[in-house]
Amino acid sequence: MNLFTSSTLLTLLMLITPVMVSSTDFYKNNKYQHYVKNMTLLAFITSLVPMTMFIHTNQEMLISNWHWTTIQTLKLTLSFKMDYFSLMFMPVALFITWSIMEFSMWYMHSDPHINQFFKYLLIFLITMLILVTANNLFQLFIGWEGVGIMSFLLISWWFGRTDANTAALQAILYNRIGDIGFLLSMAWFLHNTNTWSLQQIFMLSQNPPTLPLLGLTLAAAGKSAQFGLHPWLPSAMEGPTPVSALLHSSTMVVAGIFLLIRFHPLTENNKLIQTMMLSLGALTTLFTAICALTQNDIKKIIAFSTSSQLGLMMTTLGLNQPHLTFLHICTHAFFKAMLFLCSGSIIHNLNNEQDIRKMGGLYKILPFTTTALIIGCFALTGMPFLTGFYSKDLIIETATSSYTNAWALLLTLTATSMTAIYSTRIIFFTLLEQPRFPPLMNINETDPMLINPIKRLLIGSIFAGFILSNSMPPMNTPLMTMPLHLKLTALTVTTLGFVLAFEINTYSKNLKYPYSSDSIKFSTLLGYFPTIMHRLSPHLVLTMSQKLATSLLDLTWMETALPKTTALIQLKASTLTSNQKGLIKLYFLSFLITMTLSMLLFNYPE
Amino acid sequence: MSLVHINILIAFAVSLTGLLMHRSHLMSALLCLEGMMLSLFILATLTILSTHFTLANMMPIILLVFAACEAAIGLALLVMVSNTYGTDYVQNLNLLQC
Repeated sequence: MNLFTSSTLLTLLMLITPVMVSSTDFYKNNKYQHYVKNMTLLAFITSLVPMTMFIHTNQEMLISNWHWTTIQTLKLTLSFKMDYFSLMFMPVALFITWSIMEFSMWYMHSDPHINQFFKYLLIFLITMLILVTANNLFQLFIGWEGVGIMSFLLISWWFGRTDANTAALQAILYNRIGDIGFLLSMAWFLHNTNTWSLQQIFMLSQNPPTLPLLGLTLAAAGKSAQFGLHPWLPSAMEGPTPVSALLHSSTMVVAGIFLLIRFHPLTENNKLIQTMMLSLGALTTLFTAICALTQNDIKKIIAFSTSSQLGLMMTTLGLNQPHLTFLHICTHAFFKAMLFLCSGSIIHNLNNEQDIRKMGGLYKILPFTTTALIIGCFALTGMPFLTGFYSKDLIIETATSSYTNAWALLLTLTATSMTAIYSTRIIFFTLLEQPRFPPLMNINETDPMLINPIKRLLIGSIFAGFILSNSMPPMNTPLMTMPLHLKLTALTVTTLGFVLAFEINTYSKNLKYPYSSDSIKFSTLLGYFPTIMHRLSPHLVLTMSQKLATSLLDLTWMETALPKTTALIQLKASTLTSNQKGLIKLYFLSFLITMTLSMLLFNYPE
Repeated sequence: MSLVHINILIAFAVSLTGLLMHRSHLMSALLCLEGMMLSLFILATLTILSTHFTLANMMPIILLVFAACEAAIGLALLVMVSNTYGTDYVQNLNLLQC
């Protein structure tokens, strides 16, 4: 039992060391990359200790170290919560980060600032772990903002490119909108439950009103790219592929979902929030799956796939199944990271070609990457007994046999079949058929720093679902009986999607469509959402503010209201009321005669 | 009414006539205005001093102050007119005719 605290804290402390030596000479040579990678490996192994102890004894732990400050009645400490979620997530995150760091030693090999890249990845990992292990909302917010900042720095890694800068700003702005919700719930909790620490919040508000949960849902929608705040995720593919693999597939984007999972004692009592999460998640998953169908950039297809899976996680939360959501987070991390690494291998080997219309026939040329890509796609679609099956199939089963919104269920099933469709699209365009890239390409995959991470994640994609779902202590009773047609729903729609996509691709591969139909335009332009929202609403707001500030305040109230109006009134009145001819001498003379006459005539009292 | 009063009242009446019957220059009207003010001042001072009306001792001085201000304004207007037209002929002030 004593190893619990020390190994957890050791894990966190080990990761800080490479950041601290970055001001010394050690940072300048290229041993630094190996150092960072090995530290992550050691941290992974160290974090397996508390995880195994937790699985064995099912005992949670709360480490409350250092009392920072007490502001009247609010006590802020540095406290780590080692429970089911954080203990299971830490090894998974560290394993994936280790693999990605090894991969980026191959991918970013020729980059002059590679040491800074590793430092940024490490700081991101540290802030993510702070977020995951936080016991109070303040520490969670520190981690939350930290991952946002590192996401900004890493997306704009190649900051000479305007698209990358725009994408990074877009990520920050959309995350900020979500942060408004987070701050709202922090303020509500402070005001009503007098604390920011999770234990007291759960004790004091068993049936909270909708407002704080609404704030948390908004925060999750911003960070996890739900519909309405989703455009930043496909734009974030401007960053290097390791960044996409780490941040925007496995780790950062699940932070929002993780927040909602942390608050599951509050959401399980509020039906309105559950329905809202369900609808939002279903809408997100279908919308992003539709957008993924006609994209031509391989990284964007995988990004939309991530967004679709995040919508699925939100849907599961809406079905009041936080532990199942968490399982899906862990399993999804494996195969999504592997999909990104395979796409990175393809991109680098084809000399930075990201358009799938210019790839093809890699089936024979890159056998290992092909294997990994196909297994990753199968795991994504939920092929039985691969990793994705254990979480995704369970989610669909729970959804079909629970008392829930039939519309959300229908959307989820449609999105599941679309998952198969765009997976087939990836496989078909990149791997099969004849090559469509220029012939003189230097293609090889012999470097062990490329092969080993993909190999590890491949084994994880195949077995991790089995291992995780059999090791995790069960938290609620699983569903044991259901009709056969409900049990086979997920498998049926997925198979349908595969078959349909393959048939259409094979029949139409030599055809060209002369006019784009409306549905294709809808899908390729991402549902017109960025076109409308990025231009129209800023234009409206800025026009309104110009009218208010300049025209109304400055010109009207300050200038015209008193000064110019007074002058105008005087002018008009004087021109109206005066009808003189300017014959002054005549007027004076008549005045004199009148005075004289009146004095003469009225002087004698008679 | 005593002789002094009649004297000063005739001075006032002469200035008034001069104000109302000037020939062409605005300057002469202003001068006659000053003459009216001066005669009023003398009249008021003499009457108040001879009747020992102490409470109204201030009145001629205040009258003189206001007369000075008025003269200044009148001269400013004269200068404005003279700037526009070059002379101060009264027959030039005919812009208000409709």
